[in-house]
Amino acid sequence: MIKIFGKALLIIASYSWIMSSANASVDVQDIINKSNLASYYAGDDGSAQARMIIVDAKGNKQMRQFTILRKDQEDLGNQDMLVFFSRPTDVQGTVFRVTKKVKADDDRWLYLPALDLVKRISAGDKRTSFVGAHFYYEDVSGRNPAEDNFTLISIDDDSYLIKAEPKDSSTVEYAYYQLAIDKETYLPMQAKYFDAQNKLIREMQVLSVKVIDGFPTVLHAKMTQLHDGSYTEMQFRNVKYNVGLPDSIFSERSLRTPPKAWLK
Amino acid sequence: MVKIVKSIALIPSVLLTCFWLTTANSYEQAEQLPQEQASNWDDEWADDWQDVPKKSPWQISHFIEMAYGHFIQNNVVESTSALKEVRGRINIDYSHELFELGAKGDFLYDGVLKKAIFQTREFNIAFSPLNNLDVKLGRQVLTWGTGDYVFLNDLFSKDWQSFFSGRDDEYLKAASDSIRLTSYWEKFTLDLAWTPEFSPDHYLTGERFSFYSPLLKDNVAPAEYFFVDQTKDAQFSARLATTIQGVEYALYGYKGAWTTPIGVNSQGIPYFPKMNAWGASALTPISHGIFKFEFSYYNSIEDKQGNNPIIPNSQIRALIGYEQEIAKNLSLGLQYYIEKTQQYEAFTESNVFADEQVDEFRQLSTMRLRYSTLQQKLIYSLFVFYSPTDQDSYLKPSINFRYDDNLSFSAGANIFSGDKDYSFFGQHQENSNVWFRVRFSF
Repeated sequence: MIKIFGKALLIIASYSWIMSSANASVDVQDIINKSNLASYYAGDDGSAQARMIIVDAKGNKQMRQFTILRKDQEDLGNQDMLVFFSRPTDVQGTVFRVTKKVKADDDRWLYLPALDLVKRISAGDKRTSFVGAHFYYEDVSGRNPAEDNFTLISIDDDSYLIKAEPKDSSTVEYAYYQLAIDKETYLPMQAKYFDAQNKLIREMQVLSVKVIDGFPTVLHAKMTQLHDGSYTEMQFRNVKYNVGLPDSIFSERSLRTPPKAWLK
Repeated sequence: MVKIVKSIALIPSVLLTCFWLTTANSYEQAEQLPQEQASNWDDEWADDWQDVPKKSPWQISHFIEMAYGHFIQNNVVESTSALKEVRGRINIDYSHELFELGAKGDFLYDGVLKKAIFQTREFNIAFSPLNNLDVKLGRQVLTWGTGDYVFLNDLFSKDWQSFFSGRDDEYLKAASDSIRLTSYWEKFTLDLAWTPEFSPDHYLTGERFSFYSPLLKDNVAPAEYFFVDQTKDAQFSARLATTIQGVEYALYGYKGAWTTPIGVNSQGIPYFPKMNAWGASALTPISHGIFKFEFSYYNSIEDKQGNNPIIPNSQIRALIGYEQEIAKNLSLGLQYYIEKTQQYEAFTESNVFADEQVDEFRQLSTMRLRYSTLQQKLIYSLFVFYSPTDQDSYLKPSINFRYDDNLSFSAGANIFSGDKDYSFFGQHQENSNVWFRVRFSF
């Protein structure tokens, strides 16, 4: 009896092994980690100029331009960031400083030049607009992979298609999202966010990638809000990696006195 | 609605044309800037954005603003409005490898004072003569401390007329001609600010707002007849700041005078009694929010015994506060402030107006609610001061709509109420006003 049952088990087991063998050779968590590294932790540090065009449902446009300095405390761990706004004119000189923490709330500071005020700001909801754009804070700084459960849906010639479901659905506006991660670069080339009725509500597309200092880098991406067609495009230029940013520049001093040498 | 917005948009563009004429000289400089600086970058958006132009050392920006306010009660001041102005700002920055020059000036026609004014908001040079030392020299805005609209150790010049009239928050902080030295040590940052010539608050004079006179038992608006014995003495301010395990600590010191003329000299004229202060603050993230504590001791050195009725007594001021985002895009800030008058017994005994005097422990609570929607284009804000000891309050509701990167509209109110005509906010009931502003930035 045990023998027969054991044999049946073996057959079932091997059957399911065959079915899943295509996916079993790849570990979804491994893909997510590599993707997170490629998207947010390239090199030990980096700098880039960024600009965004924000287009509302009626076609009205707004722009933002800023320079980002980033330094990793460790790969897939905490990071220090400085964002220096240069445009539009009403935010020129505003500086945003963040220490992104994987296991706790981020530390955030804002410098308002008109008041000479360094303001410590509370961590806040990460799924709210980043300076008026369709990108969320979390899209810019990276969503913590520990907050989602991932399943590999399929693999095609170019990419891994992965489904991500939030562990705590009360903190997000979507029911789940799907990532198309490039097999070569591990960059997510597309992210589609769905509601509970499986309706597409939000979509991120990468429009251009270039290898810079050996790191595949997104230079142009677009985030669209499907219900009204409004969107934000973000572009990067002058991207540099491993520039040797000292720890000391991630401080209050850089808010009042931007570190010119690193912003060229 | 779109039509209205468009016609309103026309007004600033007419003003803008005038402004171009007045700033033609600075524009000649602007024309020499690289294309990226001077042109409308909105048109430059393309799929590719790889050319990194040589960064111009010049940064020039401007805005034109029209503002109008109206008292909602009868007021003894001459005008029915505390705010009636057209303002043009020009901001020129020059960045050199070794220094930064900053200049900000406002041309305005002030309809309340019925005159044209030029204000130099900033005019300074910043440089780092040593690796760990930053120097800023000239007219500048200085700020520190943890309070939100409540100031303890920040004794830098404030503009209460702007605050009460509905001007942008930027104008609450007045500029001073100062030297600021900031030195960075391994664990500490030390700030020293020296203002060689006393820089008082822009206090109420009766020109724009009325205030209570204990002698006349009524609100007065002396305006040009409000004589103040000015002082030229220097002010020194210092701050020593550090962060230990995520908690930001600071110690403060101040040597100078009270920043409003709350003393009366031997000729019976208001003046700025000498005052020194020291204090401390701590600020830390707690449970998704920010918690802060600050205290300060105001040593009113001309009335150490506290028995001189025409010079303010020393005070201990303390503040606790907490702020947090309580829902998506909605943040709440709460503060509680206590101001203890020292030598209260002597104060009471000597005070001619003892029936109107402040409590020994004057208390003030504040609440800030801020909600942003339409992708941060529309911001609703409410700030409330309420004093349980003075039984008075001050409400500051406002709405700000950012139509696009250039044009924004703001509207709001300053509503004072209180049981007594003489209390801190109660005396300003007649100063309650509503206001509207439109700004075009370019």
